[in-house]
Amino acid sequence: QLQPSIQQQPSQFFTPAGDQNYASTTAAPTQYGQQFSQPQQPSSMAGMTNQFSNMGLGGPSQSQLVPTHLIGIPPNIMDLDAPPPTINLPLNTSVTPSDKANCDPSYKRSTLNTIPATSSLLSKSRLPLGLVITPYRSLKEGDDPVPVVTDTVIARCRRCRTYINPFVTFAEGGQKWKCNMCFLLNEVPQQFDWDIQTNKQADRWKRAELNHAVVEFVAPTEYMVRPPQPPVYLFVIDVSYPAVQSGVVATAARTILESLDRIPNEENRTKIGFITVDTSLHFYSLNSNASVPQMLVVSDIEDVFLPQPDDLLVNLTEARTVVESLLGSLGDMFKDTQTVGNALGSALLAGFKLISPIGGKIVVLQSSLPNINPGSLKARDDPKMLGTPKESSLLQSADPFYKKFAVDCSRSQVCVDMFLLGSQYSDVATLGCCPRYTGGQTYFYPAFNAGRSEDALKFAHEFAEFLASPIALEAVMRVRASKGIRMSAFHGNFFVRQTDLLALPNVSRDHSYTIEVDIEENITTQTVCFQTALLHTTCFGERRIRVLTLALPVTNSISELFASADQVAITTLLANKAVERSLSSKLEDARDALTNKMIDILGVYKSALTSSQSGASPQLQICNNLKLLPLLSLGLLKHVGLRASSQIPTDLRSYAMCLLTTMPSQLLIPYLHPRFYSLHNMSQEAGTYGTEGIIMPRPFNLSSEKLERHGAYLLEDSQNIFIWIGKQVSPQLCMDLLDVRSYEEIRAGKVTLPQLDNVFSQRVNAIIGKTREMRRGVYYPHLYIIKEDGDPSLRLWFLSHIIEDRTDTVMSYPQWLAHLKDKMVEQVSPIGRFYY
Amino acid sequence: MNFEEIEEQDGTRFSWNVFPASRLDATRTVVPISCLYTPLKEREDLPPIYYEPVTCKAPCRAILNPYCQIDVRGKLWICPFCLQRNAFPPHYKDISNTNLPAELLPKFTTIEYTLARAAQVPPIFLFVVDTCLEDDDLKALKDSLVVSLSLLPSSALVGLITYGTMAQVHELGYSECPKSYVFRGTKEYSSKQIQEMLGLSGVGIRQSLQRPGPSGVPQSASRFLLPVEQCDFQLTSILEQLQRDPWPVANDKRSQRCTGVAMSVAIGLMETTFSGTGARIMLFCGGAATEGPGMFYDALAKRASTNGHIVDIFAGCLDQVGLLEMKSMVNSTGGFMILSDSFTTAIFKQSFQRVFNKDTQGNLQMGFNATLDVQTTREMRVCGLIGHAISANKKSASVAETEIGIANTSAWKMCGITPKSTAAIYFEVVSQHGQPLQPGSRGLIQFLTHYQHSSGQFRLRVTTVARNFAEGNSPQIAQSFDQEAAAVLMARIAVFKAEIDDGPDVLRWLDRMLIRLCQKFADYRKDDPSSFRLAENFSIYPQFMFHLRRSQFLQVFNNSPDETAFYRHVLNREDVNNSLIMIQPTLMSYGFDQPPQPVLLDSISIKPDVILLLDTFFHILIFHGETIAQWRKAGYQDQEGYENFKELLELPKNDSEELLADRFPIPRYIVCDQHGSQARFLLSKLNPSTTHVSGGMYGAPQGQAIFTDDVKNTMAIAPITGKIRKILI
Ligand SMILES: [Zn+2]
Ligand SMILES: [Zn+2]
Repeated sequence: QLQPSIQQQPSQFFTPAGDQNYASTTAAPTQYGQQFSQPQQPSSMAGMTNQFSNMGLGGPSQSQLVPTHLIGIPPNIMDLDAPPPTINLPLNTSVTPSDKANCDPSYKRSTLNTIPATSSLLSKSRLPLGLVITPYRSLKEGDDPVPVVTDTVIARCRRCRTYINPFVTFAEGGQKWKCNMCFLLNEVPQQFDWDIQTNKQADRWKRAELNHAVVEFVAPTEYMVRPPQPPVYLFVIDVSYPAVQSGVVATAARTILESLDRIPNEENRTKIGFITVDTSLHFYSLNSNASVPQMLVVSDIEDVFLPQPDDLLVNLTEARTVVESLLGSLGDMFKDTQTVGNALGSALLAGFKLISPIGGKIVVLQSSLPNINPGSLKARDDPKMLGTPKESSLLQSADPFYKKFAVDCSRSQVCVDMFLLGSQYSDVATLGCCPRYTGGQTYFYPAFNAGRSEDALKFAHEFAEFLASPIALEAVMRVRASKGIRMSAFHGNFFVRQTDLLALPNVSRDHSYTIEVDIEENITTQTVCFQTALLHTTCFGERRIRVLTLALPVTNSISELFASADQVAITTLLANKAVERSLSSKLEDARDALTNKMIDILGVYKSALTSSQSGASPQLQICNNLKLLPLLSLGLLKHVGLRASSQIPTDLRSYAMCLLTTMPSQLLIPYLHPRFYSLHNMSQEAGTYGTEGIIMPRPFNLSSEKLERHGAYLLEDSQNIFIWIGKQVSPQLCMDLLDVRSYEEIRAGKVTLPQLDNVFSQRVNAIIGKTREMRRGVYYPHLYIIKEDGDPSLRLWFLSHIIEDRTDTVMSYPQWLAHLKDKMVEQVSPIGRFYY
Repeated sequence: MNFEEIEEQDGTRFSWNVFPASRLDATRTVVPISCLYTPLKEREDLPPIYYEPVTCKAPCRAILNPYCQIDVRGKLWICPFCLQRNAFPPHYKDISNTNLPAELLPKFTTIEYTLARAAQVPPIFLFVVDTCLEDDDLKALKDSLVVSLSLLPSSALVGLITYGTMAQVHELGYSECPKSYVFRGTKEYSSKQIQEMLGLSGVGIRQSLQRPGPSGVPQSASRFLLPVEQCDFQLTSILEQLQRDPWPVANDKRSQRCTGVAMSVAIGLMETTFSGTGARIMLFCGGAATEGPGMFYDALAKRASTNGHIVDIFAGCLDQVGLLEMKSMVNSTGGFMILSDSFTTAIFKQSFQRVFNKDTQGNLQMGFNATLDVQTTREMRVCGLIGHAISANKKSASVAETEIGIANTSAWKMCGITPKSTAAIYFEVVSQHGQPLQPGSRGLIQFLTHYQHSSGQFRLRVTTVARNFAEGNSPQIAQSFDQEAAAVLMARIAVFKAEIDDGPDVLRWLDRMLIRLCQKFADYRKDDPSSFRLAENFSIYPQFMFHLRRSQFLQVFNNSPDETAFYRHVLNREDVNNSLIMIQPTLMSYGFDQPPQPVLLDSISIKPDVILLLDTFFHILIFHGETIAQWRKAGYQDQEGYENFKELLELPKNDSEELLADRFPIPRYIVCDQHGSQARFLLSKLNPSTTHVSGGMYGAPQGQAIFTDDVKNTMAIAPITGKIRKILI
C-alpha cells in the first residue's frame, strides 16, 4: 500500500510567492510561510515524535501489542482512568502543529483508534467499531473552553460539505484547500485571512478551525430558517393528591423559584410557563402587568385547547414578579386537593400547543401514573414476570402515545425532560420515550418523599442543576466521514431524521451519543476522518455550529486494530447495544450477545494474535489495552439494567437503561464498575487537600475479600454512595464518623452524613464531596449506610456492586474468565466459527 | 260590573264574566272563556297569613275559600270543586259565623299563605357575561354588575361565568389567586361532562365533597356560588379586571362568542348544584352567538325550567344577538328580556337596576321556583296557558280536550315570577247543551301559585273566582264581555299561533274570529250597512284587532327577529292595560288652548302648534309641532313673558317621566321635531287617514277632530268596521 498522503505532502509546502496570491491585500503573509515551514521540515524524525508524543500526533509508528494474561490476576482497576490508546497519525497529517488538532476523547472517541482498511478485517477482528460522542460536555474548572470562530467565514467543502479543519491541505499558493474527506479542491473564502475587527490582513494559521479539532462557528443567516429561538421552559407539574402529599409540588416550586436567576437567560429572552395537572389541566395567565397569576382550569382533556392566546408563556424577565408570585403560592395552591388521577397525556399535548410555535423544553414533574387518556397507563409491573423471558415486555413502551408525541415534538424543536417522583410504579419505560426521542433526559426518584430531607435535597439539587445547565436549542447533528465509511446505527436520546441526521430539539449537557460505524468500501487512504457537526442555537440566541473532527490512521493489520482498541469506548458501545437488544428482544439475548462478543474478541485474539491457534491452554490472553474489557463486560452483565434477576423492579431497570444509553464515559465507567475505598485504614493523605484538590483513597477491586469485620468502606457508582460498616467496627470510628457510640446505635439506610468536628469526619466528608463533584451531570448521589448484619435488602443491594464476587445467580470474575475460556475452546474447534 | 275593581282584588280579567252554560254556547261566543291572571298582583290590604292552608281531600286538594259551604256547628266544610265534605282541623274549633278565618271572608277570594317551609338556600344569581365587547361597553357592563352586588340581599349567592371565544366559570371560593374553569366555545358539553369538568362529581375525587356544608350548600358548589357578603370583594375585583376577550378576530369575521356553551355550562352548573332552588341565570350578551341553533336553546330552556331556574337575557347590541334562537330560555322560565343598543344605554342600566327593585319590606320583588295550579268545578276544564311557563304535566280532571297554548295540563312551572307577571289562561265549558241550568249555578276556578319568596319563605297565593253560568242567548253574557281583556287574550293566541304558523294564516284567523264575534253580537239589518251597531262593551274591540293586525307582534317585516322575539316576550308577560298600549299606542296632544288630551292615532293629530306624546310601551316619544319647534329653537321658553310656553314644553316631559317611572323594561325615549329625522318613528305609527279626509298627504290639517271623553270610543275604526260591514252585510 502506498501512502499517497505522505507523497503528496511536499505539495503542501508552500513557498511564499509574493503578493500576487493576496492581490487584494498589502501586507505580505510572511508569517504564513514561516510558521508553516518550521514544523514541516524537522531535522530529525525522533524529535518530532518526541514533540508530539503526548498529543497523539506521533509519527507513523504502530501501536504495539502488549499481551496480558487474565486468569489468576486481579484486574488492575487503576487503568480504568487511563487515557485511550494513542492515535498514531502519520507525520504532518494536520496542517498546523497544534496539540489540539485532533479530537479530545471527552468530546469524541472511537472504539478503535486505528481504522481497518477493509470491512473483512473489521469483521475478522470481531471488534466493534463505533464513535462515542459527547458534543455538549460540561466544562469543569481547568477545562479549555471551545474556541469560537466569530467572523462567520465558514469554509466548507463544495461537494461533501465537510467543514474546514486541521486535517485539510492547502494548494495553489494557499488559494485553494483540499477537502480531507473527498479530496475536492475548494476555494479559500475571500475573508478567510481578513480580520474584520481590525480590518487588516490576518494570520491564517491562527484561525481556530485550523488549530482545533473542537471548534465552534458562529453561523451566518444561511444556517437559520428563522431567528434563533429563545430558551423556553414549560413546566408540567403533577398536582394530584400523591404529588402534593409527597411534597413534590412544594419542593419543585421552591426550587424553580430559587433557580430563576440561574435559568439561562443572558439576553432576557427566556420564556417560561406552567401547566399543573391532575384530572384537569391548570394553566396560569402570567400577564406582566398583574401581580398575581390567574389560574385557568381546562377539564376538557379529551380534546385539549389553550384557554387563552397570550400570557400563558411569558418572558421570564418581564413577568418575573408574577412568576415569583405563582411559585411562591404553588406549594399551597393544591394543599387541600383530594383529586387522584392524572392526565399527563393531555397536559403534554397542551404544552405542545403552547410552545411548539417556538420550540423549547417541557419539563415534566410527575408523581403518579397517568391514568386518563390519551397516554393513560396501567400499573403493569408484575413481579411474576421478573426474571422471565416476558420481562422485556415490561421494559418496552406500553403506549405508543409517548413516542408519537415525542416525534411530533422533535419536528417542532420541543424537548421533554421527565422527572419521575412516584411513590409507586411509574412506568419509566413508557414515559422515558418522551426524553428518548427529543434529546431530553429521564430523572427518577423512586419512593420520593420530601419529608425525608435526603430526598428533598437530592431532588432539589439535581433539579436546580438541571435548570441552571446551559442547553443548546433547535439542534441537528450529523457525522460525516471519509469515503468508504458509513454511520450505520445510532444510540442515545434523539430522533433520526433523513437517515443520518440526528434531530435534537435540545442538546442536554453531558449527553453521549453512540454511533456504530461500517466500512463499506476498502479504504485506500492512510488516514480517515470523522467530523461531527452540531448546528444549534445557544441559550444566548446565537446560531452556532460546533464541529468535532477526529482523524484516525488506517491499517490492514489486525494486530494494530487490537493494539488501538479503546476498552472504555467499546464498553460504552456494548452497553448501548445491550440495552437496544434487551428492548428489541430479551434481556437474556442481550446478555448472551455480550458474552458471545467477549468470547469472539478473546477467541480472535487467541487465534490470530497468539501462537496457540487452537486447543486448550491454561491461560486467557488479551492485549494490555483491553485487559479491563472482561471486567467491564462483567460489570455490565451484573448491572441493574441487565442482570439476570427476578428481584429488580422494572422501573429501576428502565431507568438504568436510560442512563446506560446517555451517560458519557466518565460517568458510565463508574456506573458499571463502582469505585470502592476503605475508610478505616485509608492512607494519611486521603481526604486531605493535595495539589489537585482532595486526594482520593486508592480504590479497591470490587471483591468482598476486602471487607474486614472492623472496617468501614465507601462505594460509589455515580448514582449512589454506600458506606459499609463492619460488625466489629471500632466505637471510636462510630463516634468520629456518625456521632454514635457503637455499631449498634448506627442507623442504617438513606442518611445525611454528619459533619463532625474531627479529622476523620472531615476527611470522609471531603472524599464524598469530591466524589459528588467528580462526575459529570447534575447527579447528587444519595448516601446509604449499610450495616454488615443489617437490613438484608440493603446488604444485598450493596453487595450486588461487588462484581468480582459471585452473586446469587451471576458468576464471579474468575468464574467469568473461566467461562469465557471454556466457551472459546468450544467455538474455536475445527468446526467452529473462526475460519478466515 | 267593574272589571278593574275585580282586577284589583283578584288580579284577574276575564273575557266573559258570565259563562255560557254549555259547550255549544261557549263555542258560539267565539272568544273563549279565558282570563289574564296576575298571580302576585300587589294588594295592600292582604293580611299576612302564617298558617298552613286547609285543603280538601286528595286528589282534589282544593283550598278552603269563601265559596265553600261551611257548617260551623259540625265543624265541616264542603268543597265546591269535588263536593266532598271535609272536617275542619282541630285548631279551627272556635270557628263561628262571626269568627271566620280570613280565607273564608268574601273580600279575600285572593289570599296568600306564608308557609312554614323556608328555602334551604337563599336566592342565587349567576351572571353570564359576554366579554366580546368594545371597551366602553364592557366597562359600563362591569360597572352595572358591580353596582348590582350592592342591590342583592347580602345572603344571596352569586356566581360568575364570562365568555367570548371560550366560556370561563370563575371559582369565587378560591383564595390563592383568581381561578376559573375554561370550556371550549365550539363544543357541546353534556350536563354530566360539565359536572365532572367543574369537579362537582365523577371520577378522580378522592373523598366525596358532595356532602352539604353549612346552610345546605354542597361544598363543591360553594366554590362557584358564594354569598355576596363573602365574595363581594373578590367578585368586584374579578369584574373590575375583566378584559376584553383576548382571542384575535379576523377582520372579516365577527367575534367568536360562545353564548350557547356559556349558557349550557351555566345551566349545567346550576342543575348539578342547586336543582329545585330559586335562581336566576342572568345572561349579558353583546352580540350574536357564533354557535348554537334554536333547538339547542330549547333543550337548555327545558332543563333550566325543570330545575326551577330563571334565565334572563340582557342584550346590549345594535345588531342581532340571537334572541329569536334563545328566547325559549327566557320565556320558559319567567325571566327578563331586555333589548338595548349597548350596555352604556339608560335602557339597559336602569332596566337592570329595576330588576332588583324591592318591596316595602326590603325584599326583592321577585319570586322563584313558582308553579301555578288551576282547579275548576266540573262544568269546566282548562285548555291551556299562554305566558312565561312550561307545562308541569299535571293530568288532573280539570284538563280540557281543547288545546290552547301550553295545554294538556292543569299546572305550569313558571320559575320566575314578579308582581307584574300575567298569564293568559283559557277554559272550556263541558256541560252538554240542553241540560237545565240550576238557578244560581256558577263555575268556580281556583288558582294556586306556590313560590319561593325572595325572603326565603315559601308562599302560596290562592285566588278563587266564581262566575255565573247563563243560557246561551242570555244578554248577561254579552253584557259581561270585557273587550279589553278579550283583545289581549286573543292577541296572545294570535302571537302564540304566529310563533308556529305562517303570518297570513294568523291574520286570516284573527279576521275570521272578529267577523264571527260581530256576527254573533252586532246588531245590523241585512243589506243596510249603516245599520251596523256594536254594543259599547264591544265597540272598540274591532279597533284593537285592527291595530293588532298592524302591530309589531304580527307584522314582523319591519323588525329584526330579535325585536320580534322581544316584543312578543313582553306582550306575554304584561297585564291588560300595558298590553293594550302595546297593541294600540296612546297619543296625547298638548296645546295652548286646552288641557292635554288623547288624540287619534292618525296623522291628522299632527299640528304645528301642539306637542304630541306617543307611548307605544316600548317607546315614549315627544313630538314638537313645527311652530313649537321653531319657538323652542328660538329660545322663547327662556324669555320673560313666555312662561306658558315653557310650561307647555315641560308638561309632556313630566308626563313621560311619570310613564317611565313604573315601566319595565325602560322604554326608548325619543324627543323630536316635526320634519326631524326621528319623527319618522311617530309617522310610522300613525294612520295616514288625512288622505281620506283631505286628499293631501301631510298637508295642513283640514278639520278639527272631534274628541269625546273617551277617545278610544271614537278612534278611527272605519277601515276595519268597513270591512266587517262588507263581509257581514
Ligand atoms: Zn469534501
Ligand atoms: Zn275538593
